[in-house]
Amino acid sequence: MSKKVLIADDTEFFRTALKDILLGAGYNVVGEASNGAEALDLAAELKPDLVILDVVMPVKNGLEAAKAISALKLPLKIVMCTSLGYEPIVEEAIRSGASGYIIKPLSESKVLNTLSSII
Amino acid sequence: MDVSKYKTLYLQETGEHISGIETGLLALEKNAGDSSVLDNLFRHYHSIKGMSASMGYEPIALLSHAEEDLLDKMRSGKIAISEEVTSALLKCLDATKALFERVKADEPLDIDISPLVASLKSAAEGRPERPVQPPTAAQPEGEHSLRLSSVMKVEGRLFDDLLATVGDLFMTLSSFKSLTHGSRSVEFKNGVHQLGKSVNSLHDTIIFARMLPLEDLAAGLPRVVRDLAKETGKEVALTTEGMDISLDRTILEGLGSPLVHIIRNAVDHGIEGPDERKVAGKPLPASVHIRANVKKDRVVIEVSDDGRGIDREKLKAKALSKGVSAARVESMTDGEVLKLICLPGLSTAETVTSISGRGVGMDVVKDAVESFGGSLEIESKRYLGTKIILEMPRTSSITKALLVEAGGEQFLVPISRIEKVVELDSGALEYGFYEYAGRDIPIVSLAGCLGIRQEARPRRTLIVLDARGTLGGAGTKSLAGLVVDDFSDEIDAYVKPLLPPISKLRGASGITVLGDGRPVFLLDVPQIISKALKGS
Repeated sequence: MSKKVLIADDTEFFRTALKDILLGAGYNVVGEASNGAEALDLAAELKPDLVILDVVMPVKNGLEAAKAISALKLPLKIVMCTSLGYEPIVEEAIRSGASGYIIKPLSESKVLNTLSSII
Repeated sequence: MDVSKYKTLYLQETGEHISGIETGLLALEKNAGDSSVLDNLFRHYHSIKGMSASMGYEPIALLSHAEEDLLDKMRSGKIAISEEVTSALLKCLDATKALFERVKADEPLDIDISPLVASLKSAAEGRPERPVQPPTAAQPEGEHSLRLSSVMKVEGRLFDDLLATVGDLFMTLSSFKSLTHGSRSVEFKNGVHQLGKSVNSLHDTIIFARMLPLEDLAAGLPRVVRDLAKETGKEVALTTEGMDISLDRTILEGLGSPLVHIIRNAVDHGIEGPDERKVAGKPLPASVHIRANVKKDRVVIEVSDDGRGIDREKLKAKALSKGVSAARVESMTDGEVLKLICLPGLSTAETVTSISGRGVGMDVVKDAVESFGGSLEIESKRYLGTKIILEMPRTSSITKALLVEAGGEQFLVPISRIEKVVELDSGALEYGFYEYAGRDIPIVSLAGCLGIRQEARPRRTLIVLDARGTLGGAGTKSLAGLVVDDFSDEIDAYVKPLLPPISKLRGASGITVLGDGRPVFLLDVPQIISKALKGS
């Protein structure tokens, strides 16, 4: 069974790039969210194995979403995805339940190595 | 990671963010206290920064990074919002726009942004600085001319819509045409004739406007080959020929990933390492050659390498291990054996490398090519090299086709496939062969193939077809006969691609709606014939 992944990023650009990398490596991308609130709803609905959260997003940012999703107590892992300079936020996210992080710009090896070390 | 494929998305989203910034900055000048405006502006800059860094557009990334920092400070109240700050940001926006236009036009991003970045940094530190002049002079100072260029940029999708409309016009035209058969009005007949000429000329113009040269696609290939060669430690030179040939942009776009995949296979599996080539007395660097030429309304693209060729025995062994019966494998012609490489999951690479053989194989290439009405052939000489031949239509959508009938159902057969149409006594069609041009060709009943019940009738129509693209033997015609009950008009059909789930339907390559509203399938001749002959 391929792992089910939910992607949350406010740009279609990164959602598409991330999805291409994941699909190419055999992951099953079950949903895409463009903000933190959508990510929370979709996480509860789709029960993915993994949620990838961008930090800077409208409505609910990635950190808020990570906290809310962790609070659902679902059997899933959260990976934060952000640009350089947001290490403090990522660290806070990890304290609140995220398992790892990816620093943009994305590269196939960066993404896949991070994910395979987590699930 | 090849990011060029994300450029369209980049342009689209960055364009949206740039207009968002413009609106935001202007709103900020009017109402400095609105925190949601600051939040939105911050996100716009942040998104532009991330995407530009990923695409490798460094000046845009650096500039938006400095802007983002400044906005963050404004957001947290560390910096007061002043007119100086907003006008500095507007100046930077002009530079971002200028850079963005260069990205669009594939021009180098050689605008010096360092004074702007410095001005943003000092603003972020709360030191006002003299306003910086924008570094580009897209228009000479003080000359705001309003002349328009004679070349227009339009969304490619507009042409899709136009073509769809012309397709509808063709359908309307065909119902008018059938009305002229029963009409005595000369004016009406002339009018319909004139309308037909206009619709045709409109169609030709749109088709022409949609054409792009292969060069546009091939421009990215030297880089692909270079990277692959580097990664595999091989020496490869890419040469091309006939890249000035134009194709419909949809087809050209569809060719992109199959072409890259074929080249990957060639470099990764076909071409030997430098040592092995030296031992074999082969030249270095190895060669990958892409050659395109036009054949009637189709383009033939050959990708050949001078590598080690395909190992038939290994392919056969793989096929056996995948459950293909031994009898079947033994009875295969050489062309059929080579085609095994297109079976899903049948890559002969012994190890899965990071470059190819990761589950996406030649089967995907074949499917992609066929979905555009193209065909794929393989030629390979052991130790000498492999040649993959793609034959694609140059234009899409309007296909000349013959309307045929079998078992009370109507179908379309592409005219480009038809060699001859003959009416024969049904008895003459019972043997499974028909003598044509001095040799026996296999014949197949369309109704039989599709499982349609057929009434007995004294005479039927045999359509002699070129079913190339099915039985191997690239380049040579592969004739077969298709038996139908009857045939009627030749029509210009606006063929729409099949969408899931009916895209899984074997034997049909598209669908069209006739003038009277009936939907009709366009037959995929190679598929129908090969399926019928394999089944027998």
